[in-house]
Amino acid sequence: MRRAKTVLGLIFTAIMLFPVYWMINVSFTRDTDMRADPPHLFPLDGTLEGYRAVLDQQLPYLGTSLIVGLGTVALTLALSAPAGFALAKLRPKGGGVLSFVLLIAQMIPGIIMAMGFYAIYLRLGVLNTVGGLILADSTIAVPFGVLIFTAFMSGIPDELIHAAMIDGATTWRTFVSVILPVSRNAIVTVSLFAFLWAWSDFVFATTLDGGGDAQPITLGIYHYIGNNNQQWNAIMATAVIASIPATLLLILAQRYVAAGVTAGAVKD
Amino acid sequence: MAHDVTTGVPASPSAPAGGGAGARAEGTPGRGRRGGHWTAWAFLAPIVIYLLAFYAYPLYRNLDLSLRHYTVRSFVQGDAPFSGFDNYRDVFADPAFGPALLHTLTFTVVSIAFQFAIGLALAVFFAQNFRLSATLRALFLVPWLLPLIVSASTWTWMLNSDSGIVNHALELIHVDPVNWLTSPDWALTSVIIANVWIGIPFNLVVLYSGLQAIPAEVHEAASIDGANGWQRFWRVTFPLLRPVSAITLLLGLVYTLKVFDLIWIMTKGGPADASITFATWSYRFSFGSLLPEFGPGAAVGNLLIVMALFFGLLYIRFQRRQA
Amino acid sequence: MTTTRGRLRAAAALVISACLLAGCSKGSEPGASGTGAAGGDYTIWDPYPQFDDGSDWVKLLTRCGTDAGVTVKRTGYDTTDLTNKALLAAQQSNSPDVLIVDNPVVSTLADAGVLTTTDELKVDTAAVEPNLLAAGRIGGKTYGIPIGANTLALYYNKKILDGAKVDPAAIKDWASLTAALEKVKATGKKGITFSAIGTEEGSFQFLPWFWGSGAGLTQLDSAQGVAALELWNGWLKNGHAPNSVLNNTQTTSWQEFAAGDFAFSENGTWQLANAEKTGFEYGIIPIPSQAGGTAPAPTGGEFVTAPVQTETGRYPVTEKLIACLSSADNAFTTDTTLSYIAATEAVQQKQVAANPQLAVWVEAVKAAKGRTSDDLGTKYPKISQPLWTAFQAALSGSASPAEALKTAQTTAAAATK
Repeated sequence: MRRAKTVLGLIFTAIMLFPVYWMINVSFTRDTDMRADPPHLFPLDGTLEGYRAVLDQQLPYLGTSLIVGLGTVALTLALSAPAGFALAKLRPKGGGVLSFVLLIAQMIPGIIMAMGFYAIYLRLGVLNTVGGLILADSTIAVPFGVLIFTAFMSGIPDELIHAAMIDGATTWRTFVSVILPVSRNAIVTVSLFAFLWAWSDFVFATTLDGGGDAQPITLGIYHYIGNNNQQWNAIMATAVIASIPATLLLILAQRYVAAGVTAGAVKD
Repeated sequence: MAHDVTTGVPASPSAPAGGGAGARAEGTPGRGRRGGHWTAWAFLAPIVIYLLAFYAYPLYRNLDLSLRHYTVRSFVQGDAPFSGFDNYRDVFADPAFGPALLHTLTFTVVSIAFQFAIGLALAVFFAQNFRLSATLRALFLVPWLLPLIVSASTWTWMLNSDSGIVNHALELIHVDPVNWLTSPDWALTSVIIANVWIGIPFNLVVLYSGLQAIPAEVHEAASIDGANGWQRFWRVTFPLLRPVSAITLLLGLVYTLKVFDLIWIMTKGGPADASITFATWSYRFSFGSLLPEFGPGAAVGNLLIVMALFFGLLYIRFQRRQA
Repeated sequence: MTTTRGRLRAAAALVISACLLAGCSKGSEPGASGTGAAGGDYTIWDPYPQFDDGSDWVKLLTRCGTDAGVTVKRTGYDTTDLTNKALLAAQQSNSPDVLIVDNPVVSTLADAGVLTTTDELKVDTAAVEPNLLAAGRIGGKTYGIPIGANTLALYYNKKILDGAKVDPAAIKDWASLTAALEKVKATGKKGITFSAIGTEEGSFQFLPWFWGSGAGLTQLDSAQGVAALELWNGWLKNGHAPNSVLNNTQTTSWQEFAAGDFAFSENGTWQLANAEKTGFEYGIIPIPSQAGGTAPAPTGGEFVTAPVQTETGRYPVTEKLIACLSSADNAFTTDTTLSYIAATEAVQQKQVAANPQLAVWVEAVKAAKGRTSDDLGTKYPKISQPLWTAFQAALSGSASPAEALKTAQTTAAAATK
């Protein structure tokens, strides 16, 4: 029975990842075979040309992307967890309006955000810096973080907070030592998406970090997109190589999504 | 308006229902309401400052762009004349308006329905902790790691009329090839398929975490009562998952409304506007040709914001009725 | 009503976010953003992101900077992105000193007041071929100098044409081309591939046929214009061209040709280097016009321009940089790297001497026509968009060629009024 589920799981994953396989296939394909009809299912007489180009040029970009991704996660958590707690459990007057504003904030097109940032950054002198990019990327994730934290934390039983309060803890202490530990799932979820958004962001990177020395991987890809020519095998190879460290990170993070965290806490 | 968007759902059957605004204030984990109020805002202060610092200006700018008559020249010089609602009037009168509205609604509703249903089914499936379940679940996120230009291009590749793998597979089972991206009848369907694929990981991860946050005792209690798996899911699990489901749907809606790059890379909104949505249309105005038209572009962008507002309000009404 | 504690908290939060901001600005390097600094940093933006610091192109930029006694800071952007970047930078008075942009964009940027004229900067454009310079001339003034040019022609697969007994030299007009496609189809091979995508790229590819019919951009729905669209439409309907052209960029259409099944590909000068790699014998013929003879193809390629600076004292150095980039020797190197044809007769001859295959392209470039010429200027984008909408509608079957072009003409006329 359990084995059957694993097999089923493997099948689902295979279907889901077929486009990813196709991308890997293209990354090994020679330029002349890319539009072969019928398409080649396996890169039988493939080429490593794409990978050679990528390994020569792309590694520094990966490092920058990693820093930007992790920085965005940290900033997003720092801003959104307390806010989510306040909205879910302290429920101040006007909190609803704030949630609504957060929802609307996410509707501003990325490019308009980027254009606004450009003007601000130029004056602050943070154009083309990693810090500036982290700050910009966090704007994609922060409203999401607040809303997710609010939704998850509203599921935490009030008794838990009452108990802590009776023990004489301040609200801040309650938040840090009671709420945060039981919100592990929400923290992992928000971190994951904050990381993923920062990792795959292109609009902010090109507008705000286009001329920087440290550029993320999404800009690195543009090495292979000339004004008249695109080296598709190198583009796909970049994407493949870029996803390897990030995939490992995801697998690691996913292990921390725990079952029944709240339940455990209530029992204690 | 002052209703809480996200917390108005009963967290669990036993928790106080946070219905109306008044009821909610009393229903909070009490302690001196005034003091609590200020403490709460202290927790919220960073986010409020953050919002003001980073969203106010772009939002103002988008509004300003839509109310002025911009040419490239006046965009650079910053002296565009105020033109009231002219841009909006132009947008409404544009022959692309009708199709764009219809496609936006279809794209959003169909995408979300499939993403959520598939995501929820997979979340329940993966919640059964079998061998490799954590790893496979993480692998579902891989599509998110790919820059959109890569994943969208891969779909374009697979759906190519002549050399695409999908048509090749259809040929093997003796089905006529479909012009996925180049036929006005199929273009919208194709971008929806790709968008559902991209959206599944988001729904899966959020809903899975939500499922895991439900205390195990609830399930145990239900099993003792003799409920079967199906009943347990609909009567116990699903209601408990409501706050998370609601926010997943709402966020999914917001994200789907603003999808433009996927459509842009795959079909450019074409052929002949067959897959154009508001977001794509807005992008086409502002950046799609050699001569940017920022005014109408921003106006369409603002219409999207209004649509999100509308859905948000609808969501609140729905919640009130439920409470 | 208020509690000091709450206020203190709020204040603390404010400090925290201020720190966040300050923390970020610590990472900034002074002078990273171009203008203002009186020092020796000159910024250059180009649309060649494919060239990294080790490439000949960037080395050339650095050397030009060293010769002028300054340090060059160069950034390569994606072409489509560069126009927006340039406008945004100009709006914030942060333009680069030298901007290299696609030729049809020059008139837009000039109209926005972003560019200086070559008179102001004393750049010598006398040697440049007039048909190439035309894209940079608006209202009697010139706003830049072409770095090189490219255009379109028909690549053919020799083996396929031989198999179908088609003599490429005999293809002189539309009728003989379509007849050739018919013969190719009879042998089970595919006919022609091109790019009819709904962007400027599609218009670029349609123009040789449109102009080759005798149609003009001010009257899209003329009988000649309809004939051009009917030519494309007929190819699609009769299976001479694949349905994927609707979504093809010039790169994808090239990949289709490179797979070896297509007899013809409408593509550009820049594919020459790739043509050598296909592993089959190829040849190039000019695009025929309807009645016979070479059709005027649009010119592609970039212009070197100098954006307006608040500090006009920077212009003399900028002038030196531009002169260096467009000097005969450097133009030769650059155009060879980019697979372009030079903009001056002298360098063109040098190119043909070095590589006789280029002769076809030099001829094609001479016959080519700027998209924004005929004094269309900034009107061109407003015509080009309805035009690509029209051929997309016709080829996808949602309107007849005549109807589609009629709608296009109405839209274009309203937009260019």
